[in-house]
Amino acid sequence: MVVTTPTFDLVVPERRADVRDDAPLEHPRIVAREFSVFYGRTEAVVKVTMNFPHGLVTAVIGPSGCGKSTLLRAINRMNDLIPGCRTGGELIFDGQDIYKPNVDVAALRQRIGMVFQKPNPFPKSVFDNVAYGPRILGIQERGSLRDIVERSLSRAALWEEVKDRLGDNALGLSGGQQQRLCIARALAVDPDVLLMDEPTSALDPRSTARIEDLIGELRGQYTIVIVTHNMQQAARVSDFTAFLYEGLLIEFDVTGKLFTNPGQKQTEDYITGRFG
Amino acid sequence: MSGEEHPSPARKRRKAPSGPASSEGLHGRRSSLLLSARASRMRRAAGLAGNGTLLLITSSSAIVVLFIFYFIFKDALPFFRLQGLGEFFTSTRWYPSSHPAEFGALAIFFGSALVTLGAIVVAVPLGVSAAVCLSDVLPFGMRQAIKPVIEILAAIPSVAYGFFALVVFAPLLQEGGGRIMALCTWLLGAPVAVLSTVILADLLAGRASPRARAGVRVVALAALGACWVLGLQILAARLGQIEVASGTNALNVSLILGIMALPTVVSVSEDALQAAGRELREGSYALGATRAETILRVVIPAAGSGILAAVILGVMRAIGETMVVWMASGNAAKIPVPWYNLLEPVRTLTATIAGDMGEADHVTGSARYHVLFAMALGLLTISFACNLASEWVLRRAQRKRGA
Amino acid sequence: MRRSTRKLIDRSFSGLGVMSIVLMAAALLVILAPIFVRGLGAIFFRGTVEFRRMQLEQFERGSRAAVEEETAAAAAARAPVYRMLAEFEEELSAMAAEERRQYAGQLREVRELVTELLGPAPGTPAPVLPRDQYGQTRWDRARFKLDLLLQRTEYDYSDAARMGREVRVDRARDFAGTRLEPLFDYLRAHAREMLRPRLTAYLRFLTDAPLDSHFFGGIWPAILGTLYLTLGAMLFALPMGVISAVYLVEYAGQGRLISLLRTCVSTLAGVPSIVFALFGLAFFIHSLHVTPGKSIIAGSMTLAALILPTIIRASEEAIRAVPETYKEAALSLGAGKWRAVITVILPASLPGILTGTVISMGRAAGETAPIIFTAAVSVGKAVELFQARFWEALAQPTPALPWNIYNLATEHEAVDEIRHVQFGMVFVLVLLVLLLNAAAIALRARVARRLRG
Ligand SMILES: Nc1ncnc2c1ncn2[C@@H]1O[C@H](COP(=O)(O)OP(=O)(O)OP(=O)(O)O)[C@@H](O)[C@H]1O
Ligand SMILES: [Mg+2]
Repeated sequence: MVVTTPTFDLVVPERRADVRDDAPLEHPRIVAREFSVFYGRTEAVVKVTMNFPHGLVTAVIGPSGCGKSTLLRAINRMNDLIPGCRTGGELIFDGQDIYKPNVDVAALRQRIGMVFQKPNPFPKSVFDNVAYGPRILGIQERGSLRDIVERSLSRAALWEEVKDRLGDNALGLSGGQQQRLCIARALAVDPDVLLMDEPTSALDPRSTARIEDLIGELRGQYTIVIVTHNMQQAARVSDFTAFLYEGLLIEFDVTGKLFTNPGQKQTEDYITGRFG
Repeated sequence: MSGEEHPSPARKRRKAPSGPASSEGLHGRRSSLLLSARASRMRRAAGLAGNGTLLLITSSSAIVVLFIFYFIFKDALPFFRLQGLGEFFTSTRWYPSSHPAEFGALAIFFGSALVTLGAIVVAVPLGVSAAVCLSDVLPFGMRQAIKPVIEILAAIPSVAYGFFALVVFAPLLQEGGGRIMALCTWLLGAPVAVLSTVILADLLAGRASPRARAGVRVVALAALGACWVLGLQILAARLGQIEVASGTNALNVSLILGIMALPTVVSVSEDALQAAGRELREGSYALGATRAETILRVVIPAAGSGILAAVILGVMRAIGETMVVWMASGNAAKIPVPWYNLLEPVRTLTATIAGDMGEADHVTGSARYHVLFAMALGLLTISFACNLASEWVLRRAQRKRGA
Repeated sequence: MRRSTRKLIDRSFSGLGVMSIVLMAAALLVILAPIFVRGLGAIFFRGTVEFRRMQLEQFERGSRAAVEEETAAAAAARAPVYRMLAEFEEELSAMAAEERRQYAGQLREVRELVTELLGPAPGTPAPVLPRDQYGQTRWDRARFKLDLLLQRTEYDYSDAARMGREVRVDRARDFAGTRLEPLFDYLRAHAREMLRPRLTAYLRFLTDAPLDSHFFGGIWPAILGTLYLTLGAMLFALPMGVISAVYLVEYAGQGRLISLLRTCVSTLAGVPSIVFALFGLAFFIHSLHVTPGKSIIAGSMTLAALILPTIIRASEEAIRAVPETYKEAALSLGAGKWRAVITVILPASLPGILTGTVISMGRAAGETAPIIFTAAVSVGKAVELFQARFWEALAQPTPALPWNIYNLATEHEAVDEIRHVQFGMVFVLVLLVLLLNAAAIALRARVARRLRG
């Protein structure tokens, strides 16, 4: 018999309308089961059960302080840095509960990349920024580093702009360029998942549009989870949307459906701007 | 459906743009998500070992502190065993090399206290008012220009200060000490006199009936002004008469130590003033207070503990200073008469240690050697207490601000 | 209170602040000005023919022919001095015993002063010590000696209530009517011809070894000793300080142990430097026996303990100033903690760490007390590090600027004669420290600019 490998056989729809309603449940890359995150006593994410479908863009929305960043950072265990932060339930990536004690956190983070709210390139050259991750993986050879840097920058739609100034300090780039550089830096280790925490909130509209286009291009190649406060953005770029409120997952659905025909009253109130 | 037969479009697309150095190269280097039990044990052990090493290195400063206390204490103890406590703390007779030797350190403790007090009298008013000026009066650009002055004052080595005190300042003081003091009296006294005369006259006039007000003011101004001029003149004349026997005396050292303590006092109290916050000041200005009133009534009380910490740190700097006092204090182990007579030479703890160890080192084990460690223990205790006090004060200030 | 009075108070308050800052700046100026002016005087001065002769004979510098010619010219100008002295001697032997005794003492003084001014009289055997072989090498000192020669000082105790008053008496008056009387006018008129002062730039002051306990020569061994002690201290303190700072910021939680460590660091910062000296003596030399006696190593270690807290604090501050986002970015790319520290956090905080380091280098260079018992000696050869067994060189004591300044200014046998050397040393030390601080300020400015964009 043919063995099904669920991660590989999802047919990626060209248009959002083509996505079947049940697709995410069938082909998840990341699965949260009754997953909670605590900061000391307070429960910032409460027993969330959801899937992040493979190869698609999932948006997480919700009012400020509802736990979006906390959930996102839990996926590549960045919360480990915060003293007093614990988790409950399961968070499964590629069939493994990533909070098991014998998980290699560094390896996990290489496969789940992250882009932060404020562009945070290292104060190094453009080249060194992108090459940082591959170097950690042990690639020292200049030639292959060059290839990786070029490929990553091209994927992040930045190559044409910076190919002549790879040696310049990355802090000299514009804000939008810096953010795309950060995306390129995350792509350079060839992750499976890309987490983005409000990646455009510090950028001007033009740079925002470029990043959104970029997300559109990366869609299908990477599983992307994006946190955003901008409802239009969520509607534009994502296939699925999760709505969080006070740590609870209120609704999770195909983006088109969630925005046009929300199943919950709270969701409707939020997306119509009645609170939050 | 099988992954083999129908590779996902996702994967396909992913591979398409990548050239010869494909992403497989990266995947090849990738370790699996899970660590084997052995690897994880190894990793934990390595982490623990690394952490332990770092902790050990970090503890080195703690170890040094511990050793300092231990070694000073160890060598100080024999002195008290040999000579007892009484003489050391109560007698002023310091004859360590005569037979029988006498180790009365009271005058030396007093000398340290006197020059420290003198330094504080110089450094605190000057330093705090400079800090106020820096934080509240001067524009930002000026402040940036003045910072280096403070940094340079702090950077000049103490032996250079000592050399200045001994070679330049002491002869000056000896030649024209009286005249210099008289001049300083006028320079410092005149502004105080003018200001207090005007303010007092104003207050008196405020009490008088509206009709008499102008007259009262004029009379008060004249009377107070005359009093001040007379007083200053008498004081200056008397000071001008004084002949300074030796330029290497407590006054010289106090002034120089005061200048040396200035940078500490200025920077710590400026930090405290800055930390008092803008809202506080704006609240006061909003009530129509002038800048002086705001600073005196609101900002300085709020920054009080920070300024106190600055004073304590200044004391520490002055009391621990060696070279200046050794070179320019005259090194006479006696209490001046009267005790506040700054024009007489004094001897301090630090200078005694520095000066006597050279000879005492040859007689290791004698009371003469150990008495110096006893003095160092005294110094250490004082500076430790000051340090704890300043930390406590600062922490309290922080907590108050946080609350 | 009247409005105008309130305003006056306000104004005078600001005035007070400004005045205190002006006073501070003035104090700095008053202290630095003599050090700079007179310190430069050790290098740039009016050197006499004696200076050039000394340089030729002791250091083999300058053209022999020129110096000999000049010496001959000076000798010609000096000849009348010795002639007058000899004539007076003759006259003296013809005098009555009473009178002779009266003049003898004064004559001896004059002779001594002439020797000090011009060097040993021609025909007398050459003295052993270089300091006695030459007259005054510096014109300013020569002028001072000339004054002593022309006038002597007497104290007038007639007013019992006050201290004795200085009175200057012309020596010409003492010898009035004798054949020595014209000597003083001659000296006054012909001092320049006898000594031939000329503007001299003695740059080798910095790189010469001292000669005859600093009467002549330069201060190179002390400069070198200071450099080695400072660098040695940094060698010990820098790695320890930076690692401690990394640990305190990155690895340690907020536990009790950490607050204890912090208290220790601030305690260490408050320990008086003379206590460090005793500690260094008792621990490094008497207990650990790092070296049997004073040595560069023991001194460096003591200095390292002294500047450790400064370096820890500066590095801690610099590391804390690195944005948390750098660390997050590194970790999110799969870097381990130590890797993030080494590749991102330390490079980003390096300028700040360097600033603190450079400032504490200045501190180490200028500290005197800790090296008194652990490293410094008054007289010694320059350390020669580049020899077969450099360990032995490091196990030697060394002269060092701060200690030699103290030593020359207070314990030297002729403190007044070598003021210029003392000032030169202070000048070099202060300049060294100020340059280090200027470097730190420049570094900080660059960092500020870089962080801004
Ligand atoms: N380090 C922390 N320690 C304690 N509580 C925290 C910490 N970080 C976040 N929280 C709390 O957890 C909750 C969720 O925070 P989170 O940052 O995930 O919100 P968010 O949805 O990302 O908000 P925003 O849209 O403003 O970014 C908030 O109530 C917040 O106060
Ligand atoms: Mg957030």
